[in-house]
Amino acid sequence: MTTTTTPRRFVRADGPDKVTGSGRYTADLTMTGQLAAKFRYADVAHARITRLDVSAARAMPGVMAVLTNDDVPDVRFGPFIQDRTLFARDVVRFEGEVLAAVAALTPAIAQAACDAIIFEYEPLPVVGDIEAALAADSPLVHDDWSAYGAADVLVRDRNDASFASITKGDVEAGFAEADHIVTSRYVADGCHAAPIEPRAVVAQWEGDKVTIWTSTQVPFDARAGVCETLELPSNRVRIIVPHLGGGFGGKCGFHYEAHIAALARATKRPVRLVFSRREEFIAPDRRREGMVFEITSGVRNDGTITARKAWVAVDNGAYTADSGFFSQLVAMHIAGPYAIANVHVDAHLVYTNHQPSGSVRAPTAPGACWAVESHTDELARAVGMDSVDFRHLNALDTGRVGPSGQTHDEIGLQQCIAKAAEMIGWNDDRPADEAVGLAIGWWPSFAAPSGAYVKIDGDGAGQIITGAQECGTGAVMTLRQLAADELGMQPEDFQLIYQDTSAAPYDMGATGSQTLFNNGRAVVEAATEIGRQLRNLAAQRLEANVDDIVLADGAAHVAGTPALSVPIAELAAEAAGGELLIAHGSGVPPSAPALEGSSCVGDLGMAAWVAPQFSCHAVRIRLDRDTGVVRVLDVAAAHDSGTILNEVGAHGQVEGGILMGVGQALTEGTVYGADARQRNAALLEYKLQTIADSPKVTTHFVQIPTPNAGPKGAKGLAEAPNVPTAAAISNALASLLGSPVRQLPMSAERVWEAMQS
Amino acid sequence: MSTTVNLRVNGTTYPVTIDEGRNLVSVIRTEVGLTGTKEGCDDCECGACMVLIDGRPVNSCSYLAVQAQDREITTVEGVMNGSELHPLQRNLLEEGGVQCGFCTPGMIMSATALLAANPTPSEEEVRIGLSGNLCRCTGYAKILAAVERTATESAQEMAQA
Repeated sequence: MTTTTTPRRFVRADGPDKVTGSGRYTADLTMTGQLAAKFRYADVAHARITRLDVSAARAMPGVMAVLTNDDVPDVRFGPFIQDRTLFARDVVRFEGEVLAAVAALTPAIAQAACDAIIFEYEPLPVVGDIEAALAADSPLVHDDWSAYGAADVLVRDRNDASFASITKGDVEAGFAEADHIVTSRYVADGCHAAPIEPRAVVAQWEGDKVTIWTSTQVPFDARAGVCETLELPSNRVRIIVPHLGGGFGGKCGFHYEAHIAALARATKRPVRLVFSRREEFIAPDRRREGMVFEITSGVRNDGTITARKAWVAVDNGAYTADSGFFSQLVAMHIAGPYAIANVHVDAHLVYTNHQPSGSVRAPTAPGACWAVESHTDELARAVGMDSVDFRHLNALDTGRVGPSGQTHDEIGLQQCIAKAAEMIGWNDDRPADEAVGLAIGWWPSFAAPSGAYVKIDGDGAGQIITGAQECGTGAVMTLRQLAADELGMQPEDFQLIYQDTSAAPYDMGATGSQTLFNNGRAVVEAATEIGRQLRNLAAQRLEANVDDIVLADGAAHVAGTPALSVPIAELAAEAAGGELLIAHGSGVPPSAPALEGSSCVGDLGMAAWVAPQFSCHAVRIRLDRDTGVVRVLDVAAAHDSGTILNEVGAHGQVEGGILMGVGQALTEGTVYGADARQRNAALLEYKLQTIADSPKVTTHFVQIPTPNAGPKGAKGLAEAPNVPTAAAISNALASLLGSPVRQLPMSAERVWEAMQS
Repeated sequence: MSTTVNLRVNGTTYPVTIDEGRNLVSVIRTEVGLTGTKEGCDDCECGACMVLIDGRPVNSCSYLAVQAQDREITTVEGVMNGSELHPLQRNLLEEGGVQCGFCTPGMIMSATALLAANPTPSEEEVRIGLSGNLCRCTGYAKILAAVERTATESAQEMAQA
């Protein structure tokens, strides 16, 4: 069944700012008297600090403050494990750890002062291999791990920061029923969000209150971090996000806002930090995690997968950012969107001396999907079945039970598989150097609290004041349409006030593809309340029953008597002299579905998925057999993300997610030296895809009614398109090579090596 | 060593006193005060800082400000036709070629230079012409569509004129 909602084409409200250059991003702001901030980094992955002497730096002309761990409150913080501090204390655990922060008259002076800081250390054994880190005799990244505060539900042991398992049925019994047992090992290198805007922070104190302009995706999280580490109440910290130049998860979390606020307080001057591209690569706790996978599945000759057992190790890096839930999340992804009767997955989140991992666009999913979907094609080959037929047989469908025991309500995965295969021309003839491949993915919708205010002033002009954050996706822009539809007005009748923690109620931020899902619910509730006010006013004015008042075309009408109407602007003028048209909304987030017949260790709520999104990508690639270079020619993407409200924006999310997936498949991977330091922390060595590389993308949305979805049946969409692209490329490549390339990225060198073996 | 340079940006001359080692992007953003031009890598890799110098696209992160003396510099702020959006700007919005917008100014400058040199580029020529500008949001499809639409509309106008 297809819904009748026709997505509207509209130009994003912030668009004119962005095409004219008048829009301000954080690094564009200049405050009177502003100082420049620079950080001194450890530049060594694991060492005990024996001397950190900032006296020479402090004495330099033009240097206004140099701060270290001694100059800020003694607070350990972290959302899952309180394992870190603002500045290095005693031990440094990755190269991008901040030793000291300098504020000076110019960036050059600040950098010279950083260079003048004396840092002496005793090297400690470097933990760089996630499998070795789990060995009983491995050096520890955190000697004091057991003393740290942590979420009670986390299962921790030495370098294992968060262990999770999912068990359903009896895998050994399932293997006994199988005709073939296939075991695969895959390794995914870490990679980066790499937004084009390097992050920036500006802080300014007035009295005992600080305003911080920052390039964050999560202003309320950033505020919480400042409050926690500088020991301030939330009403003295205001976070404002100017235009945000992309995030992709890389700007989630709390980053440097407290360092800059502390510098501004110490100097009694505004202070601005602007990152270089190298800093953007090495320092933030938001790298996409490297992972190792071992997957065994049993399959019958008729193609039925009887059991799947998997082991996953996820590189946590040196500190636990928002990665605490990655172990359970990756367990779900490595089990995959399949109705397999018997499943057991063990997943470990492992401390190393690498840059910390964090939520980059669909965390853990693209790598895990690449591994499990490559493995799935190995299973199909083992029984001589076509990849599409094999997935139709085993994949989830409405009424089938997923790996964690969730019985799925109406979902569109099977339709996605059929549509993607059709769009790519699955059975077409093609040249010997070309092939098609296909993969399926899934991603949860994250139900969370979220708030908004809606008001209409005396002239009939509306404002939506929302806690939601815009990082480029356009999700916030769609809120205008929701309010307008509720009130019979036009999206253009509303201005958006957003990205300001002191103006609006809480929202989780541009994270988890949740803006429309949760904040949309809040805006609809607030607009509904305004609608109630308008109908009451209109009923009095028109001497009609309030239940007969309809809001449409900018006016309140009496149903069945269209001549009886009053413009909303007139009602707004009347309200301006009385009750005022103001309302707030938050709504009740949908609750998690029940799980049956499964058990989870380390359960952080990531096994029960509200309104899950499904996708299938099919690709056509060409392989240059002389060089190993893979070119992705076409991508056919079919997505069940519920109702599509913003057509242009939705296609943009899919196209952008796919190209990021192509990069992760072929060119994007962090190279670490034996010293656990990054070897390619620059855009020259870490290659993003260009317009010359980009494939032709064809997108289809399977729109079916989803229980517990967001407004008008919408689910999330920002992360899902990043999930199955690399996997589909892998399967196309494996069909040319006979077996998959087992390390991500599948760079030309690795493809060429696979061809030789 | 400091020197005074007359920079002509979008038709206005700005006398600026700067260190000779300063790159053009920092002077445009700071002394001239036009922040539409972005800095994304300081390495000639991302194209966010693209400006036109005498009509040719240049990564202003890797161009000394003193070299731009006596040349015509065009930034994104100089693209509009008076108070009207340039067709390329309008088409980027209507096609959905703008998401976070950080690459957009550089993309507009490269596309402007491309269309001036080649008013009817093939798809391949657009791809080559814009391959120095990284966009992380859009996957480029809608940027490509906007540039092609601008070229088509311009050709239609020429044919009618």
